Amino acid sequence: MSIKSLRSTFLPENPILPAIVPVRFSLVLVALCLFTGCGNNPHPSPLREKREDGSPWKTAYRALPDTPRSLDPQVSYDTLGHAVIGMVYESLLQYHPFKTDPYELTPCLAASLPRRLPGPGGGAIYEIKLKAGLRFHDDPCFAATGGKGREITSEDAAYAFKRMADPKVECPILAVLQEYIPGLQKAYEQAKAKGNFDYQQPIPGVDVVDRLTLRLQLVKPYPQIVYWLAMPFTAPVPREAVEYYDGRRHGGETRPQFKFHPVGSGPFRLAEWNRNRLIRLVRHEDYRATVFPSEGWPIAENRRFQPVAGKPLPLIDEVHFTIIREGIPRWLLFRQGYLDSTGVNKDVFNSVVSIGQELTAKYRKRGVQLHKDTEPSTFYMVFNMEDPVLGRNRPLRQALSTAYNEDLSIEIFSNGMDIKAEQILPPGVFGYQRNFVNPCRQFNLARAKELIAAAGYPNGIDPKTGNPLELTIDVTSDSPESRQLTEFQKNQFEQLGLRIKLEENLWSRQQDKMDSGHFQIIAYGWRADYPDPENFFFLFYSPNRPPQGNNHSRYASPEFDRLFEKMRTMENSPERLKIIHQLNALLVEDCPCVLLSHPVYFSLNQPWCPRVSSNPLLSGGLKYAEIDSALRQERQAEWNHSPHWPLGFLLLLIGGAIGYAVFWTRRHHA
Amino acid sequence: MTPWLENLIVIGGLAILIATLWIWAHSDRWQRAWQRFRRDRLGIASLGIIAFYLLVGLMASLRLPAPAHGQACPTILDRLFSGVPKEKSYSAPFADTTYSVNRPEPLKGRHPLGTDVLGKDVLLQTAKACRTALIIAGLTSLIYIPLGTLLGIVAGYFRRWVDDIIQYVYITLASIPNILLLVAILMVLGKGLSQMAIALGITSWVGLCRLIRGESMRQATRPYVEAARALGHGPWVIITRHILPNVMHLVIINLVLGFSGLVLSESILSYIGVGAPVGTPSWGLMIDSARMELSREPVVWWYLVSATGALFFLVLSLNLLGDALRRAFDPKSS
Repeated sequence: MSIKSLRSTFLPENPILPAIVPVRFSLVLVALCLFTGCGNNPHPSPLREKREDGSPWKTAYRALPDTPRSLDPQVSYDTLGHAVIGMVYESLLQYHPFKTDPYELTPCLAASLPRRLPGPGGGAIYEIKLKAGLRFHDDPCFAATGGKGREITSEDAAYAFKRMADPKVECPILAVLQEYIPGLQKAYEQAKAKGNFDYQQPIPGVDVVDRLTLRLQLVKPYPQIVYWLAMPFTAPVPREAVEYYDGRRHGGETRPQFKFHPVGSGPFRLAEWNRNRLIRLVRHEDYRATVFPSEGWPIAENRRFQPVAGKPLPLIDEVHFTIIREGIPRWLLFRQGYLDSTGVNKDVFNSVVSIGQELTAKYRKRGVQLHKDTEPSTFYMVFNMEDPVLGRNRPLRQALSTAYNEDLSIEIFSNGMDIKAEQILPPGVFGYQRNFVNPCRQFNLARAKELIAAAGYPNGIDPKTGNPLELTIDVTSDSPESRQLTEFQKNQFEQLGLRIKLEENLWSRQQDKMDSGHFQIIAYGWRADYPDPENFFFLFYSPNRPPQGNNHSRYASPEFDRLFEKMRTMENSPERLKIIHQLNALLVEDCPCVLLSHPVYFSLNQPWCPRVSSNPLLSGGLKYAEIDSALRQERQAEWNHSPHWPLGFLLLLIGGAIGYAVFWTRRHHA
Repeated sequence: MTPWLENLIVIGGLAILIATLWIWAHSDRWQRAWQRFRRDRLGIASLGIIAFYLLVGLMASLRLPAPAHGQACPTILDRLFSGVPKEKSYSAPFADTTYSVNRPEPLKGRHPLGTDVLGKDVLLQTAKACRTALIIAGLTSLIYIPLGTLLGIVAGYFRRWVDDIIQYVYITLASIPNILLLVAILMVLGKGLSQMAIALGITSWVGLCRLIRGESMRQATRPYVEAARALGHGPWVIITRHILPNVMHLVIINLVLGFSGLVLSESILSYIGVGAPVGTPSWGLMIDSARMELSREPVVWWYLVSATGALFFLVLSLNLLGDALRRAFDPKSS
């Protein structure tokens, strides 16, 4: 029907109509347009609806609390970056998705686990053979192949090590690895002196044997090197991509920097990165590195995983990481079915988790799955052992530790979820003692008061001044939760009659203080780089002082150092376990920190996207995920069904208001 | 700062306020204004509410001797609330158990406005936060009122290059977004109540200065000022004896209205994390903490309601008082 006929159908004859009608018509059109935009799905459409074989295109929707600063595998050292890098890049090795107690490494780009050979001078050689026929993502940077991703070779793996030694790249783990591969340090220093890194020059200790074989020559034993091979730092990188994506203008077009345009060999390639909104990944069609494992899952999951065992990965086609900075919108989107999984924060805990720490009936009915995972992390409050008050007074440190009621803290701030830390090692790491009781971590105020009296401060009073002893805690209270926790910590120590001063710092200032040692007490946490006790005990190894190391307490015990040096190069064995227990006992006795907790995270998965892997060290686990798109669509429609009565009520209200206005105007002018 | 010095400052400040009001009460203009103000019921009610807030602030500031050696000196408010126990965590107003779906535990006492996450009585927190708001607003007023008044009068009276310089300074200052300037100053000075007062003082005088400058220009051309000049009085005498008393009503109205703005600014700065330090009771910090509790199920509402309620009534009363004062001093009313 034409506009003209519409006009004659709906509008009466009127001399001023020709002027009014277009306006009215436009308004109706605008209103209709507004209604077409209605809907609460926040995600952009997936790239496709169907796969080539006609089956549904499967998209996973996840949330990130912020946008990653860099997707350069040799640079990024945060969980946010690794969440995406783990999808785009594959490392030489990877963690088994199901085996977490103990953790187990499996080959990824490598054809098998590295072969350890004796090296000259008591060192070790690790020989790594790559799988043949693995390819990088298709990208315009591969000019020689017309944009088709080329095969990954040992040169690419060696190139990753060269990038680590390039001062311009600023690889955060160089300091660790150069101790065992001195060639890295030498290359770094040469490049720094010249102002340019020579990528043609081979690095001694990183030897390319043939097209698919790489040898790492370590000057001293370091069994933990295999864990670094499972991290993104050692992931092979195509040199073409690094050189192509230089952030400069080429032919009127500015190319992004490599850190914003990753080109890897992972199960997904980057399709879109809208810095403050969305990271869209699409499946890598030539991905051949891994398949779904054929064993290792819990027996109860046999029915679920048996059909997919040995299948090529990834099982889904697209991943959307939506940047959602606030926790409340994240939770609401999950509740509406627009996110496939989410963590359970303390605010919604009571509505989701029952008294028996199971899912509440409401969410069980929805088919939601609840998971409880202990993070391989330990939070603690560091005492500065070089502080004249705290460092020289062991009973004082023990008193502070004994007066701190961590059980109460866990109950208030994490709904009783976290595990109280009694030792520096978290559960799942070799050497963790399940029933270990740390006498300084059993809250006992009477005992703490005895200890503080023995420390020379009866009732917290400093006999020199006659006033309460003043101690300072340096904090970065940048959120309501951290402010509340800081106040709680202050209250705990003040139970001893002390006066606690809180010094608020910006994060950078706090970091400076930690590095320079200008603090008394500071909160800190450590998440395992790899599941080895060395990665936790090194936090108290005296040569590992800041700013290069992480021994922020500046704890220095010759006995501890001696035992640590012996333990760190050993393979897991009863003898190593004995040394670990000795190290633990030394830390309990000297009390260089107040151990707080090992966090336990509760997470939820929607019924259409049940979780596959519970391994917190596995990055890129989404390649194992399966999604039932039809079920998702059905549930989204069900959970987002909006009643029509509010619209009717609103229209009635507007109609009434207009009617009243007309009535009032007529009466007024009558 | 020692407790006796704190008490001395509070009592000294109060004495100065009373003395100033006493002196002004003898002026004809102020007496006429007072007569008009007394008939303004809304104004009187607002004044009563503000006086109540001042009293609470005073009780949260004045310290009593410490109960034992080495212990902190409690304030009058602490002593009044000494019988109110600290609980384990959240409890709703007048509840007898903690606010926990899973493990409710009996409370040690009753709390009319409930308790916060650390089990502290919210009524006491709200009352203590009144002190912070009044200190910030009071200290800032002590900085910006003399500064704005003096610069405004000097610019309006002398004009020419003096006026140009003062205008240049305040136009430059006014062209910088206020909140960014405040945050920048606080980043440099660090967190603390006095630092916040200095930052707010530096950024708050422009409006008053503009107002007083305009009024001083008008007053400077009036016959009584001309007469004073003809009698040989110097600028200092003319400014202090003739112009200042005639612009003082504007200063008072601005002080009262500005006070409410400063109370809000303190809350806003604390809310965005650059205001009151951790552990300082503040309505802004309370609102910021309560923000996170709103998504909690079951919802913790009393923390937000207490802080916003206290803030709302103080700001509303100050605005109503400001309006009432304007009406009282308005020559047209007479």
